[in-house]
Amino acid sequence: MTMIKRASVVIIGGGIIGCSIAYNLAKMGCKNIILLEKNSLASGATGRCGAGIRQQFGTEMNCILARESIKIFENLSQELDYDIELNQGGYLMLAYTEKEVNQFKKNVALEQSLGIDVRYITVKKAKEIVPPLNTEGVLAATFCPTDGHANPFNTNFAYAEAAQRLGVKIYNFTEVREIKTENNRIVSVSTDKGEVLTPIVINAAGGYSGEIGKMAGVEIPVYSQRHQILITEPVDPLFKPMLMSFSRNFYCQQTPHGSIIMGFGDPDEPKGHDIGTSWQFARDMAQKMTAVVPLLKEVSMVRQWSGLYNMSPDSQPIVGEHPQVNGFYMAVGFSGHGFMLAPVASRLMAELILKGKTSIPIDRLDIGRFERGELIIEPSVV
Amino acid sequence: MRIKEHPILEFNQKEKVKFTLDGKELEGYKGEPIASALVAAGIKVLSRSIKYHRPRGFFCAIGKCSACLMKVNGVPNIRTCVTKLEEGMKVEIQKGKGDFN
Repeated sequence: MTMIKRASVVIIGGGIIGCSIAYNLAKMGCKNIILLEKNSLASGATGRCGAGIRQQFGTEMNCILARESIKIFENLSQELDYDIELNQGGYLMLAYTEKEVNQFKKNVALEQSLGIDVRYITVKKAKEIVPPLNTEGVLAATFCPTDGHANPFNTNFAYAEAAQRLGVKIYNFTEVREIKTENNRIVSVSTDKGEVLTPIVINAAGGYSGEIGKMAGVEIPVYSQRHQILITEPVDPLFKPMLMSFSRNFYCQQTPHGSIIMGFGDPDEPKGHDIGTSWQFARDMAQKMTAVVPLLKEVSMVRQWSGLYNMSPDSQPIVGEHPQVNGFYMAVGFSGHGFMLAPVASRLMAELILKGKTSIPIDRLDIGRFERGELIIEPSVV
Repeated sequence: MRIKEHPILEFNQKEKVKFTLDGKELEGYKGEPIASALVAAGIKVLSRSIKYHRPRGFFCAIGKCSACLMKVNGVPNIRTCVTKLEEGMKVEIQKGKGDFN
């Protein structure tokens, strides 16, 4: 496909964020949108993610965004005419320390006040929800039955194909080389397949969004960090919910296919773009999860992989236009929550670009918050 | 169905052991792969495919293909082609993907 000369919007990045923004812009009537992807769709963080979708957060904004995202997820297969394998088996969050118990109580009160169906439950109840759970050390738990997971590839492709049906042109294997600006306005994007004139660029480049920012002449305070995951052989259903703990630092889910996916965040992981894997991770992960679900000792691991979290200073996304470069929009720094927040973030991004305002206030997610010192500190992240 | 003489390899006499397949008593040699003992006993179907339940037999023989996953002494998904046979082993053809509950 040869590069077109002119576009109304150029989206950089063919992950869930870029493709869902493309779809929402097109759905709202925007014409002549193109999407550039350096490799292939879902080849970055989306296709490598843990696929969890949760509403159990510790800040009001995250709770509201996640709640609205779930509402969209619930009808997404139908809306996009593609089965995204949504599985609302809930999220069981386990508390192992007194500090966590207190945080969970606060979180539940906040979540319930925002209309999220979540409950603070006893250890006995947690064991009923996940019978193979080893409750040793567990002090309490919270459970939200409408949380869950979906297939990130299907969801990514579902958005991409729906966007294409609405006229969006997707260029795979097309690398952005340069973003030209004039008088602080976006003028064009140069790629290895040619140059395209455009007044609007949307940076949805995930792990490489900082580099895209530099091309537009701006410093975005994000960095990338490897997160590893492993997967087991498929086995008969063992448990429905996603299991998660902040203090023990893990998440674990069984896919509809039967394979069990698990991961944790290594606090010593250096910043960078490495997406290799390590045997230390496989060992540590296996030790962690077999302590929580002992029967996993008999289940074989088959593969491991890694992907990049695009981290912001407060682990919250940066969504909005850059104040110094007119037409340079960012949907970056999702800090490991891009997949679950994509449906709502993309809709709000499309509203922001086409209408200049959003149906849910996201002014606080602007890039200016770091200079103002108005960081949004989310206490509940892995 | 065993090769008794081979121009290059030597088969040393091993100890005979008894084991069961779905309750039926069979005989094999101690330390040989479970799947090998099953094949020698004329058992051709070791598992069933997940989706259509078609028969699956001895295939890759190096622990990669999943065709010989069986329940051994109550533990599902044992690669019987790379697991050594022992006296009194309880081998079962498993249903589904492996029930670990």
